[in-house]
Amino acid sequence: MKRYFQLNGQILYWLWLGPWKKQPPKVSHIFHQLIRIGVEALPMAALTAFSIGLTLAMQGAHELQRMGAGLYVPNLVAVSLLRELGPLLVAIIVIGRSGSAITAELGTMKVSEEIEALGVMAVNPIRFLIVPRFVAMLVMLPVLTVFGNCVGMVGGWTICHFALDMNTAAFVLRAIEAAQVGDLYSGLAKSVVFAWLIVTIACDAGLKVEGGAEGVGLATTHSVVYSLLAILVANAILTALFFFI
Amino acid sequence: MTPSPPSTHLPTVNTEADPIIEVRGVVKKFGQRTVLNGVSFRVFRGETLVIMGGSGCGKSTLLRHLIGSLKPDAGSIRIFGEEITDLSESEMDRIRRRFGMLFQSGALLQSLTVGENVALPIQEHSRVDDAIVELMIKMKLELVGLTGFEDLKPAEISGGMKKRVALARALALDPELLFSDEPTSGLDPVMTAVVDKLTQDLTRKLGMTAVVVTHDMTSAFRIGTRLIMLGTGPHQGKIIAEGAPEEIKNHPDPMLQQFIKGEADGPIPLRLSKGDYLKRLLGETTG
Repeated sequence: MKRYFQLNGQILYWLWLGPWKKQPPKVSHIFHQLIRIGVEALPMAALTAFSIGLTLAMQGAHELQRMGAGLYVPNLVAVSLLRELGPLLVAIIVIGRSGSAITAELGTMKVSEEIEALGVMAVNPIRFLIVPRFVAMLVMLPVLTVFGNCVGMVGGWTICHFALDMNTAAFVLRAIEAAQVGDLYSGLAKSVVFAWLIVTIACDAGLKVEGGAEGVGLATTHSVVYSLLAILVANAILTALFFFI
Repeated sequence: MTPSPPSTHLPTVNTEADPIIEVRGVVKKFGQRTVLNGVSFRVFRGETLVIMGGSGCGKSTLLRHLIGSLKPDAGSIRIFGEEITDLSESEMDRIRRRFGMLFQSGALLQSLTVGENVALPIQEHSRVDDAIVELMIKMKLELVGLTGFEDLKPAEISGGMKKRVALARALALDPELLFSDEPTSGLDPVMTAVVDKLTQDLTRKLGMTAVVVTHDMTSAFRIGTRLIMLGTGPHQGKIIAEGAPEEIKNHPDPMLQQFIKGEADGPIPLRLSKGDYLKRLLGETTG
């Protein structure tokens, strides 16, 4: 636990003080990570969000139509996606694809002495390896979340349009009416917190690896499990905060 | 400047100069196991010190102390006249910029190409423009006979080639001091000779200092201006012999002779507990 907080401290130190010490993180490394964490996750995030949009609309329609409130399906889809499911599901996808990859990659580098070699070349591994991943994750998870929200709405629209015979204009109007700007911001605030948790837990697990391939496997499992737990707990806490304040 | 302490038993090449490395009474324990037990030696400018010893004698551990990856439990290590055992990481980095290290496995960054690996220390520690970096990469790769491999990934080249790339990387900033962990293991005889010749040229012509850990006796006697041997078993973690190549070759210690000649059985027994092997084997079953 202490190591985890130290890692957070070191990341912030290099992020803010690196440029002052004439050792800023490499822009090319940040872009490389932006692509790996963000751009390459687009198809997966899209498919997940689309399925969830469909599901939400179908489940919602089933219940709401019984009460004669079928018109409110877009409201339901918009609010649940923006506030809750968008950030959460995209975070889960990113844990599975990028969190695990970061841990496995850093763990392998640790095992093959690459991280020690960086240290011996007087290249700080936190600055060189961790900060670019941290920045990329903090930028890309919210971006993916917004993207996921949009695709999820398309999923909802698909059901409303084709199964409930709602016209597109009505869907859009109702969705916009239901969703407050605050909902979008609360969802984005969540995704920033999730991004922080995912990338720090993944890096910490990777840097701690000892003892070969088995160690890398264990660390990857830990990284994924702890990230999931952490974001679900954080989600509950944040939702409570937004709910009561 | 610190005055060099009077030397009594160390054969020194040039006593007037301050030593580049001075190790005194270094002790390191991992749990119950004492890996280094009072190791002391000095290395002077332009020397090539070869550290020999059987597997598990603490050669690599000793090297890890010299590069500041491990801290000793007791004793002092001075590099370029500075005590490194109580330096902070950022102060240690200042020292690290002055030496190169060749890891046993090479430890190249797998995500970068060969050229980028060699360029890494140059780009991190100096401000030169890309054209010059490019040129420096070419020069360093030429030194180790790997011109034209810049764009391959480490996974696409052989183990021996990786090692040579790692050597090029260690030499990228023209260090004053080079540490090598098994520089020639995995190389063919010709490449071993090339790497040895390179080390010799750099130390004799350019005054670089080298500390080499090796098992390869031919190469040890070829490049070493002074050799030390770390003991195993009862002598674990102690220097059991030190001297110029000729002195070591004619050393009376039978254990050292066995090691140099590469004999399977001798003072270093085939089984560490030869005598009570039967007893242990049968004792547990028959009581």
